[in-house]
Amino acid sequence: MMQTIIASDTPSTAVPVQIDIRHVGKVFGGKGGDSAVIALDDVNLTIRKGEFISLLGPSGCGKSTLLGIVAGFQGVSSGKIEQNGRPILRPEPSRTVVFQDYALFGWMTVQQNVEFGLKAKGMAKRERAAIARELIALVRLSGFEDKYPHQISGGMKQRAAIARALAPDPDILLMDEPFGALDAQTRVLLQEEIARISSEAGKTVLFVTHGIDEAVFLADRVVVMSPRPGRVRQEVNVPLPRPRTAEMRSDPWFVQTVNELWETLKPEWQKGEEE
Amino acid sequence: MQNSAGSPALSPQAVARQGGMAQLFKNRSLRGAVGLLSFFAIWQLLTSIGVIDAFLLPSPVAVAGAMWDMAVDGSLWIHLGASLRRVAIGFLLACIVGIALGLVSGWWRGVADFLRPVIEALRPIPPLAWIPITILWFGLGDSASYFLVFLGAVFPTYVATYTAVRGLDRNQMNAALCLGAKPWQLIWDVLVPASLPIVLPGMRIALGIGWMCVVTAELIAAQTGLGYLIQQSRMLFQINNVVAGMVTIGLVGFAMSAVLEMIERRVNAWAPSERS
Repeated sequence: MMQTIIASDTPSTAVPVQIDIRHVGKVFGGKGGDSAVIALDDVNLTIRKGEFISLLGPSGCGKSTLLGIVAGFQGVSSGKIEQNGRPILRPEPSRTVVFQDYALFGWMTVQQNVEFGLKAKGMAKRERAAIARELIALVRLSGFEDKYPHQISGGMKQRAAIARALAPDPDILLMDEPFGALDAQTRVLLQEEIARISSEAGKTVLFVTHGIDEAVFLADRVVVMSPRPGRVRQEVNVPLPRPRTAEMRSDPWFVQTVNELWETLKPEWQKGEEE
Repeated sequence: MQNSAGSPALSPQAVARQGGMAQLFKNRSLRGAVGLLSFFAIWQLLTSIGVIDAFLLPSPVAVAGAMWDMAVDGSLWIHLGASLRRVAIGFLLACIVGIALGLVSGWWRGVADFLRPVIEALRPIPPLAWIPITILWFGLGDSASYFLVFLGAVFPTYVATYTAVRGLDRNQMNAALCLGAKPWQLIWDVLVPASLPIVLPGMRIALGIGWMCVVTAELIAAQTGLGYLIQQSRMLFQINNVVAGMVTIGLVGFAMSAVLEMIERRVNAWAPSERS
């Protein structure tokens, strides 16, 4: 059965809290004016070290805005957000982002893209080349180090972007609909890859998506958001063991949970389509 | 399109494609040369058979003779050198000012709101219309030429830089920031290379306009340079030297833009605009 729980009741309290989102609100446009849009309203979320969190919801529910706030690209209108007890004020290499459109640097090779964050740290040339090669191997792109982004496929670009985001050794990896621009088959393959990579690298992950099966397949905890205003409506713990493998997609619990989530989210999705 | 085997070696198809590309390029240069040669051949033919009066337009052979004579006595190089130096200085000033203003108005909306109407109102005034006031300000020296070249080149440089900065990919900037980019890295590794596909063609156009402006300036306000050569030869009824000066201007301008285009193709090889 589906478990709906409140964030503060999360089990395994021994694991330290990494990201703490408290009563966060975000308003776009004129303050109090007619044009003001409430993107986020009283959002609470606690992310523990090593957790894989899926942020699931229809378009307009503010999930990407929330990710942008965690990244430090934008501030909050109300409430507070902390990382390891310190407020998040700006982008930092302890929280790297993987974008839907890859956002690779087109004028750099795959190798140079992955080295970017290491160069920023002031790491010596040989050391960063070695680390980048390891990460490129981790995302299975070996042999493509010297290719430019326009010379490789969409799936390969996203692998390169993941390696680039892992390079500064972040505390948390923020993924903003990373497989949204890929075809269905590539998407399924990369879901399994990210399941493997995240457990191998042992990273905390915040994964924004509007794909229900993708959210459930990858996450330890699915955070479901609802639109207008953007709110957290429920959280679902996923008891499936790690690492996640393809056959878990036919696990009865998985199938049932995906169906139940679809039934609860359907009205909102339909509402979103009509607007 | 991808090398699915994952080996760095080129597949036979890729080699064939490269060979094909090289062949095409050869053919295209060849076609260009054929076009230029036919132009001179037809010109020569029309003057030899008397369709064009040699007094109104000398034949290419006569023009080449005049160029040769001026090259031998050194006057061609002195004039060419003077023009090139002037265009270089004026163009450099235009790049500094145009890129700086383009950067600040592309980055800060507020600055652009103030600056763009002023620039858009100054831009349509042709450099020729600036000549009287230029002479009033700078007299008949090199400074007048620098200023006119600057005027011709600064606007395209500004517009290109402004457009490039406005078009920067927000996500790429954010990606760089969250990877911990230092300000210098943000500028040299992201901002500059991302802007070059738009800024370099703008600079090439600016240099072409600057080259036209320097000749214009020299026709009126200089004692050396290709423009001065044309003007002085006109007064001495040396029509061969007039056309020789014109041909030199054309060929040098062509060479400048060809060299810049080659640099663009190299620097911006990654950009969609350079891939066909």
